[in-house]
Amino acid sequence: MKKTTIAYIVFFAVMALIPFVSNNLWITIATTFCIFSVVALSVDIVLGRAGMFDMGHAVFFGLGAYATAIMNVHFEMNILMAIQVAILLPAIVAIVISSPIVHLRGDYLLVATVGFNIVFVQMLRNNFLGLTGGDDGIFGVDAEALGLYLDDPMIVYFMAFTLLLLTLLVIRNLEKSKAGRALHYVQEDPIASESIGINTRFYRVFSFSLGAAIAGLAGFIFTIQYTAVSPSAFDFMTSVMFFAIVLVGGKASIPGILAGTFIMFVLPEVFKGFETYRYFVFGIAMIVSMVLRPQGIFPAKYGKLPKYVTEDK
Amino acid sequence: MDIFIQQIVNGLTIGSIFALVALGYTMVYGVMKLINFAHGDMVALSAYVGLVLYTQFVGSGMPQAFIIILVFLITALIIAAAGVILERLAYRPLRNAPRLSAVVSALGASMLIQNGIMLYWGPNILTFPIGIFPETSWVIFGATITFIQAFMLILTVVLMVSLTMFINFTKYGTAIRASSINQDAAKLMGINVNMVVTIIFIIGAVLGSVGGLFIGIYYRGIEFTLGWNYGLSAFIAAILGGIGNIPGSMVGGYLLGLFTALISGYVSSVWAEAFTYILLIVILIFRPTGILGERVAEKV
Repeated sequence: MKKTTIAYIVFFAVMALIPFVSNNLWITIATTFCIFSVVALSVDIVLGRAGMFDMGHAVFFGLGAYATAIMNVHFEMNILMAIQVAILLPAIVAIVISSPIVHLRGDYLLVATVGFNIVFVQMLRNNFLGLTGGDDGIFGVDAEALGLYLDDPMIVYFMAFTLLLLTLLVIRNLEKSKAGRALHYVQEDPIASESIGINTRFYRVFSFSLGAAIAGLAGFIFTIQYTAVSPSAFDFMTSVMFFAIVLVGGKASIPGILAGTFIMFVLPEVFKGFETYRYFVFGIAMIVSMVLRPQGIFPAKYGKLPKYVTEDK
Repeated sequence: MDIFIQQIVNGLTIGSIFALVALGYTMVYGVMKLINFAHGDMVALSAYVGLVLYTQFVGSGMPQAFIIILVFLITALIIAAAGVILERLAYRPLRNAPRLSAVVSALGASMLIQNGIMLYWGPNILTFPIGIFPETSWVIFGATITFIQAFMLILTVVLMVSLTMFINFTKYGTAIRASSINQDAAKLMGINVNMVVTIIFIIGAVLGSVGGLFIGIYYRGIEFTLGWNYGLSAFIAAILGGIGNIPGSMVGGYLLGLFTALISGYVSSVWAEAFTYILLIVILIFRPTGILGERVAEKV
């Protein structure tokens, strides 16, 4: 346990120092890393902790981002006014769309969430209610608040970094709380957990909603970073990438997910020439990593079980 | 009324493609309980391979009908080989791993093939030449059926009848059905499940390659992303009919084709895709085992 604490302290210290020792390009890359890590961790709450195959999480990320852009550009509100909407709207939508589908078995749930993602992107592309701006998305977000320009790379970075810290805190608390234990039981065996009095349906919807709220807030910062939103950032491919990050990194494993995000989103930024080969190489990497380590690169450890428990499996 | 019948004809034509591709998904799912995400990209690959073969053969002086048969056969062979290799490398090592690992491997395989196509043939749309088939068409009840459509409809029906016969009346078909009910019991009865898996990958790839060639011949423009577009639609067709259920996928394919054609004909073509997925979600909520799928009690 001691070693992991030291590792986290070193990691946070490095992350906090990045903006002071590097140029804007690197700060932007680090911001992207923080935002996508937060989304990946929010996918992990649903996929890794509650064990539901969620391949449509970009919907919630996109809802947060679009809510921010729409409120700011179309209704000319201050950017900070969008925070509560960017959290609540995805959470509420998650409750509404997940309630009827959480009872579905694995693959069916996966397909249903894919369906939601594709319907969502089609709505964005077809300029739904005249708000989403079609294929080009929404430009010209005015990120001035409290006398500061929030889209300054340094400020965005610290917002994203703070969000990453908050998310890790939420996940740490979730792990140690009643809800986190309940999710763990629900994932291991829904029927057994139902029989010891855990409302599986409630906790499944809860995990969707918590994951959506966190992803929505990440969307808020994503919109500020680019001062624009476009549908292609939230399409089905994005959801697939997050899904893959969680499983390649290791379910419910924070170091694994951070490493997965680093590989999937930071390395391609560093090696720009490699851009065209990006998904080709990812495809190979996904197959190879799953064949060699089916549980993920850094599988989560849950303490040691006595031998008589583990043997019979 | 004429438009209605015309849309029915178009719907059945698209439905043939969906049904052929859906069979590949449903058979793999039936035996391995795995969504083979790479199947759609195999279909895309077959369209590209078919185009290359056709342009190779077209100037050689062989009769047109012979060229077409040759293109279909060679494409089917190449895609079947690719399907077997894919299964060996990406799925067989994960047979006993957690289900999600196999899903990620399938997604990886899909990205690999899709981007491999993009890197090799380029990201732009390629077009099939005109004049592959005679430009004849017939008018039946006010609806026009082109030669291509008739060819597609008939070939699909022939393939489906042969598949049904194969599954129901041969030893290998029985082995496939047994493995999809219970793999362990099938192994105890002396069925080589690895061979069954190889066979279903070959059959799925052959049917998919015909579907891919149909896409190329009928729509003429092919793009490297077509695997996702048609693959997901075909997968919806498989769910519509009850995934794992072979006649179900055939029915599901035609129903989805009709649904898509009627929606884009009467409601709106820009929202057609969204309507398809809303249909999928509604089906999943109210009848997750599909139209023909039997209700299976959840194993405790």
